[in-house]
Amino acid sequence: MKKILFIILSLAMLTACERKIDEFAASANGLDFSKFVSVGNSMTAGYADGALYLSGQQNSIPNIMATQFKTVGGGEFTQPLIGTEEGVGFTPIPGGIYCYTKRVLTIVPDMDCYGNPVGTASLKPAFSSNPDQATLLQQLFAPPTVAGPYNNMGVPGATLQAIFYPGYGSALGNPYFKRFATSATTSVLKDAMAQQPTFFYLWIGNNDVLASALAGSDLMLTPADTFAKYYPMATGALLASGKQPKGVVATIPDITSIPFFTTISKQLPWNGVPLSATQAAQLNAVYSLQGHSEIVWKEGLNPFVYQKENGTLAQMQEGDLFLLTLPTDSIKCRGMGIADTTKHPMPYVYPIPGKFVLDKAEQANIKAHVDQYNTIIRQVAATQNLAVADMNTYLKSFTSGMVFDGIKVSTTFVTGGLFSTDGVHLNPRGNCIAANYFIQAINAKYGSNIPQANVTNYPGLIFP
Amino acid sequence: MRRITVLLLFFCLAATTSFGGGYQVGLHNVRNIGMGLIGTSLSYDASSLFYNPGGAAFVNEKWSFSAGVSLIFARGTYQAKDVNYQATLKHELNTPFYFYAAFKPTKNLSVGIAVDAPYGNRLAWKDDAGDNWKGRYLIKDISFKAITYQPTISYKIKDIIGFGVGLVYATGTVDMNKAIPLQGVNGDGTLNIKGSTSSFGFNAGIMVHPDKGWSLGLNYRSKIEMNVKGADATFSVPQSLSSNFPNNKVDVMLPLPANLDFGASYEFGKNNQWMIGINLCYVFWSTYDSLVFNFEKKTAAVNRTATPALYVDQMIERIGVQFKASKVITLRAGGYYDPSPVSNSYLNPQTPSLTEIGVTGGLSVYPFKGFSVDASFLYLMGGKRSGTYSPDNFAGTYRTGFSIPGIGLSYSF
Repeated sequence: MKKILFIILSLAMLTACERKIDEFAASANGLDFSKFVSVGNSMTAGYADGALYLSGQQNSIPNIMATQFKTVGGGEFTQPLIGTEEGVGFTPIPGGIYCYTKRVLTIVPDMDCYGNPVGTASLKPAFSSNPDQATLLQQLFAPPTVAGPYNNMGVPGATLQAIFYPGYGSALGNPYFKRFATSATTSVLKDAMAQQPTFFYLWIGNNDVLASALAGSDLMLTPADTFAKYYPMATGALLASGKQPKGVVATIPDITSIPFFTTISKQLPWNGVPLSATQAAQLNAVYSLQGHSEIVWKEGLNPFVYQKENGTLAQMQEGDLFLLTLPTDSIKCRGMGIADTTKHPMPYVYPIPGKFVLDKAEQANIKAHVDQYNTIIRQVAATQNLAVADMNTYLKSFTSGMVFDGIKVSTTFVTGGLFSTDGVHLNPRGNCIAANYFIQAINAKYGSNIPQANVTNYPGLIFP
Repeated sequence: MRRITVLLLFFCLAATTSFGGGYQVGLHNVRNIGMGLIGTSLSYDASSLFYNPGGAAFVNEKWSFSAGVSLIFARGTYQAKDVNYQATLKHELNTPFYFYAAFKPTKNLSVGIAVDAPYGNRLAWKDDAGDNWKGRYLIKDISFKAITYQPTISYKIKDIIGFGVGLVYATGTVDMNKAIPLQGVNGDGTLNIKGSTSSFGFNAGIMVHPDKGWSLGLNYRSKIEMNVKGADATFSVPQSLSSNFPNNKVDVMLPLPANLDFGASYEFGKNNQWMIGINLCYVFWSTYDSLVFNFEKKTAAVNRTATPALYVDQMIERIGVQFKASKVITLRAGGYYDPSPVSNSYLNPQTPSLTEIGVTGGLSVYPFKGFSVDASFLYLMGGKRSGTYSPDNFAGTYRTGFSIPGIGLSYSF
């Protein structure tokens, strides 16, 4: 009896043990990933949260891709790592740059207009620390912690034309390239070509609209014919770099998918100025006295007033967008967009500066440029037999939300879990989703079967 | 031999999951397990109280007892779609049991009690890195168990037709853990839900013996609403979000589906030493539309959520044979086909339900008249199934396998 029992038990365990499924059958289908080189801007560099920092770089889109390429013979992927987790971001100021750290979500006490805490608190992006300028500059220009050549040639701020500039890595160029350029006279593209990639990635052109759009303007957009001239030159140069590489390129997302441009307008309506008949009459008096009788205030809800690119004042219209940088305290406490109530004896005309507003005409002009760039990108890819990741279309599908392994993500700022605290760049989870989309594009174009990365391994925003 | 067995036991004491269709466990009597889990038309012992109360009055002896336990050795593997990733079901042992006692005060009347574990699901997913597996935002581990207590009365008219009905009192417990995709410095947020409940249902059946050797049975076991009221919901999230995730009470609503069983069997040969029977079991799975969690304190993040399951009704087809080899030994064999009630778009790691083909064997040894030691073995072929739980976009291929030995005792006098 005992023996029978043992036999049955042993049989049970043996038969139950063998439940294997074949692992993912990775295949390069002839693609050679031994030297993978990525060229691009901040999206490629792993810049996030308003700064370039170590773990951001480690979670960069091309680095996530390179990790997956290793299953199909991919080589090492070296990045110009910065030696600081706090990171360095900067803004140009007259005579130099002003530096700061990355921004992290922080519980900030809410204040009234006199700077007194009101007892509540909000979750807001804030600098993770406040080192002095000398420290940050030293960290920015310190050589990368690992030696080159660098497979990831993503340079924050780079436009399409910028990757051609000799001297872009000089003292007069871009600090983010200067920190790892092979010489003061080289260009991004030259350093990329010198590595003779077997497979390349090029996602460039975002800043050809963003540089202007982030400043609330449409005056600095790269003309489409310029884009049409340089784009095939960039892909052509990489294709001719020596090893007959294959490659993947990506389209440029329209700004309406980017929380930097959509967040504030969801909270603050364009016509968020309710007035009584008396208040409207008072404002009309102020405006006409100060030479702006073209602005007419009425009883009821009124649009905010802003300053257009050409210096004239205008009332906002439905569809005009506030940028994430809008100083909402000035609106709440000083009457920005209406009249400056701190001025005496009479309030003063106080339009919202144009750099905080992207009006519909500017948006349309930007969208027209984005569409033209993307047509060019797709045409060049088709002619030169390159894979295209249509990031513009893909990112749009996130405006209403997508779900991955039970994680809901959308383009909504903070709660959407896709973008970092700067509202422009993706967080690690967003980078993983983007990297997977690049891989899908490569697989679709070249018939390869490269595995995608596990989205659940990459965090979204870190909450305090 | 013994040492090897013990080592094997520790090496792959496998996880336990629901097997076959959904979360219904069909292990109610070791004798019946041996012959393809049929039983609706049989009246050999007190297990009729469960399989068909209409048959209990046909049991010949005045007293009849059965008790037993099954050991579910389960193993499951998950391969993600498009990602080079595998996870396995954590090794756990599930042991559904039963106890039946029937007494006949008169020749035609039987009363009895059946205690059973008809439903259960206990699984935990792990990968090489630990328990933060890829599907952790759907489920990390879940333990769900129901036990039924069924006082039953059965009456037969002549030896032709019998009726029976039992009141089912069910108790259930649930304990589940999942991760929440909001990260703090210490990683993911988490949610634990723990609670218990009780509910009522009924079990009614008719058995007919139309001709010599023939037996037909029809049995209906009602749906039981297992509504766990006020289970403890414990959240752990980053501090800045804690007001959105208050520790809470939650009502969890999970229906146990009704079953309609039809069975037919025929005894033949010298002293009726052979029996062959079939069983058609219609499971009203469509009652399991979704798993509903209704939180008491509602916030923007915590609300009433329904996890869609969209099960569809299914028919389980079973066949079994029995051969009384001698006065001491009875042998059994059988098989069944148990189609999964869930579609490929709702295949969920919480209950990775696969269509199963089961093969069974069993024997009883009678050391003396009326008393038997029963053993059974159920092997599920372990299919492979690919699907996506579309509400969470969780895709992959599952493979599960089960080996279920059972041991029981029966005594009738």
